[in-house]
Formats: sequence, C-alpha cells, structure tokens
Amino acid sequence: MDALTNAASAFIGLFKAGGNVFMSYMTGIIPLLIALITAINALVKFIGEDRVNRFMAKLTKFAILRYTVLPILGVFFFTNPMCYTAGRFLPEKYKPAYYDSCVSFLHPVTGLFPHANSAELFVFLGIANGFTKAGGDQAKLALLYALSGIVIIFIRGLVTERFSMYFFKRNGNTKILNQNTDVNDLKKTNAQEA
Amino acid sequence: MSYSSVKISKGNHGWGGPLTVTPTDEKPYVISVTGGGIDPVAQRIADLTGAKVVDSFANPVPKEETCAAVINCGGTARSGVYPKMGILTINTVAITPAGPLSKFIKEDIFVSGVTANDVASTENIEIPKELQENIASPEVSQVKNDAEKVAQDSKGQEESRLLRLIDAVGKVAGDFVNTFYQAGRDTIDTLIKNVLPFMAFVATLVGIINYSGIGKVLANILSPLAGNIVGLVILSIICALPILSPILGPAGVIAAVVGTLIGQQIGTGIVPMYLALPALFAIDAQAGCDFIPVGLTLGEAEPDTITSGTPAILFSRLFTAPLAVLIAYGFSFLLR
Repeated sequence: MDALTNAASAFIGLFKAGGNVFMSYMTGIIPLLIALITAINALVKFIGEDRVNRFMAKLTKFAILRYTVLPILGVFFFTNPMCYTAGRFLPEKYKPAYYDSCVSFLHPVTGLFPHANSAELFVFLGIANGFTKAGGDQAKLALLYALSGIVIIFIRGLVTERFSMYFFKRNGNTKILNQNTDVNDLKKTNAQEA
Repeated sequence: MSYSSVKISKGNHGWGGPLTVTPTDEKPYVISVTGGGIDPVAQRIADLTGAKVVDSFANPVPKEETCAAVINCGGTARSGVYPKMGILTINTVAITPAGPLSKFIKEDIFVSGVTANDVASTENIEIPKELQENIASPEVSQVKNDAEKVAQDSKGQEESRLLRLIDAVGKVAGDFVNTFYQAGRDTIDTLIKNVLPFMAFVATLVGIINYSGIGKVLANILSPLAGNIVGLVILSIICALPILSPILGPAGVIAAVVGTLIGQQIGTGIVPMYLALPALFAIDAQAGCDFIPVGLTLGEAEPDTITSGTPAILFSRLFTAPLAVLIAYGFSFLLR
C-alpha cells in the first residue's frame, strides 16, 4: 500500500510541479503581455495599414533599407504571417532575400514586441526565463536580441540575395534577373490595395 | 423607380462580407444608425443604389422596409441586433463577432471596418444619368426639409451648434475607446488561442523535467553543445542543414523546446549566462525554412522565383546561421 501511495504522490507531484510553473508564467509573464500587446495593437490600428504600405513601398531601392527597415516595419505592423506580403513591393529577384530577412526577424522581435509573433514566444521565453532565474536582466537580453537580430537579418538578406542570383542564373531565369521595379506597376498595386 | 446593387467589402482590420446590397420597392431604405447625421458610408450606398437614406435617430423607418443598416458600433449591441433582425449590417468600426448576439453575426449579413471607399458599384458602367437625377432628388428634398426645420426653429440653431460640437467630441472619444477596446479583444483572443496553449505545454514539460530528474540527464547531453560557443555554432549548423531545416521549422516548437531546456541549464548555472544570446540564434537557425513557398506566395512571387529562391534560402542559412551565432556572441560581451 505504501508503495502505491508513494507512486500516486509522485505521479501527482509531476503535474503539481507543472502547475506551479504554469502559475508562475501566468503571474509573471501574462499581465505585462496583455497590457503591452493591447497598446501596440491599438497603435497599429491608429496608424492604419494604408499609411504603412505607402511608406514601405518607398523603401525598396537600397539594400540597407530593404533588409532592415522594410522587414522591421512589416513584422511590427503586419505580424506573422502577413509580414511577408510586403515582398510585393520588391522586384522578383529580391523576394527570396526579403523573405529570409523578414522571417529571421520574427523571433528576435518577440523579446521587445511580443505581439508580432505571439504564437512563437517561447523560442525567446524558454531561454529568457532561465536567464532571469540566473539573475540576468531580461529587458537587456531582449534589447540585445533585437539589435543583433537587425545586424543578422541585414547580412542574411545580402547573402541570400547573392545565392538567389546564382540560382536564377543557373535555372536560366533571365527575365527575373533583368526585371526592375516598375514604378507604374507599384502604383497600380497600391491603388488596388487602397 | 429602378435600383442598382453595390458590393461592400470589409475595410482595414475589418471582418465579414463582402455584402451585396440591392434595395427593392418593398425595402427602399438604407438607415444610418450612427448618431450625428447620415454617415458617409450610408450616403454612398444610397448614391450608388438609388436607395433612400435616413437617419434612424431622427426619423426611424420600420425594419421591414430597411434593406441595409449602417452602424458605428464598437461594442456588441447594435452589431448583433440588426443581423438578428435579418438586416444587412455595415459597421464602420472594425470589430469581430463577440457578445451575446455573436451567433447572428455572420459573414453573409455583416461586414465591419467599412469606409466609403469599400463600397463599389457592381455594375462596371457609370450610373445612368436618369438614375443620378433620381438619386439627387431625395437628397435635395431632404436638404430642403432640414432647411425648413432650421428656419422654423431659429432658437434651436445655437443649441444645435453646441450639440454638434458635443457630437464631434463624442465621436473622437468614441473612436479612441472603440479602437482600444477592439485591441484588447484581439489581445485576449491571441492570448487564449496562441499563447496559453503553448504555455501549458511548456509548463508541463518543465514541471516533469524538474521533478523527475530527467533534467540532470539532459544537462549531461546538452552541456557539451550548449555550454560553449563552439558547441552552439555546431548546433546552429545542424539546425541549418538543408535536409533538416524544413523539418525542424514548424511553429518554432522544436526551437522552443530546445530553448526551454537550455534555459533550464542557464537557470541552474551549468551554462554561463552570457551564452543566452548566442544560444537564442543557435536554436533558431531553421526559422521559417518550412514556410518558404507559402511566404513567397504571400509576397506575390512568381513560380520561377519560388523554384530558385527556396534552395537559395536553404543554402544561405548554412553560412548565415553560424555567422549569426558568432555575431550574437560578439554582442553577448555587453551582457557580461
């Protein structure tokens, strides 16, 4: 009987421990998350999609903007997965690089702006919780995660751009390689959006 | 009198629709239940269809004669009441169905976030001239009515100006509150649908690992990989292998689990704290590799772009993933 009782309490203990962890998440993470996400959601609604779209369409010419500001704005305002739609502002040849740069920012952004990818928060939180437990400052980690993320998405954009040029050439997609941003086409897309 | 149809699509952040509004002789009215006169959306629907537009606060019409209702409801009351009565409902505030009447708020009867630009004639041709005249006449008569009213009630003029001011202030305040309210509703929605389920999963996992002592076993396996920068670079290369990365990607689940395990080791001091930053990038090398064709399609890429772009991204990761860990390692000196 004693053995059975021990087994039962060990079994319950497993989930009690799980419940305690869940409760610490609920009191430690959720309240901040609710207030922060609500405020940012409201801000995004106040600014409006049209305004962001119009601004983003202007950022496509220079590589440094294309692989930093464009994905950052896309991720912040349109969140996962609608952030990839900003790829339509770019000529075909840059689209894979933009995607790579955009998707690579979806985790670094969550430390500071969890609304952008709330379903995948734990990629950050799993490590950040341990970091906090060891006495670290989570805000500092979040900030550095985002900053190094920006450097990395820029480099990743450039590298993937080179790789896509190579594959376009190898597969004989000269049409895509020679295509430049057609300003009229962009205007048309914008008009359709509006 | 002949009527034409309009198609009304949802606006920014809106929901539902598209609705087609066609007034008939039995149902000639578009009502504006917005307070402060006739809403531009209602006016535009009336202009395009030839329907009569009325301010429901000033002169209500029977619901049997109403073909569509334009509302500006950020809550749940009006948004549900009109669909419940079977009246096509156009909400100028972007909301999603909620509240006690939410079961009546369906896509074929309700559309939200609508502005005048979202109202389009279903006919490609311009509206015939005679129809335009028809449209113009009720408007003119209404303006005349208004003018008469004002003339009759000269004392009311000052009062109405004050009322209009109050109305304007109220509208701004209402917009502000509505936007925030909807933002809060969206937040709770993603929290319940996206965040809490994952939290339950991770919490249970962590509980079991801590309580059962599996953690110590895992620490022995993980610490050679996660406990130093060389191990993290190797981990990132493994995650970025073009045959593995599309399998490891979905929903960041594997990244989250490995991250939680490494987090545990950092928490207990086995893995040094400053490695948290490079570790974040090491577990993330495969991010989005499962989603490339979908993501590119969302960016309106051509099939050829996807064919060449997919291997480009997968191979680029093999270089940029370890590089990312090293860059993060550089940044991690700021953490020490």
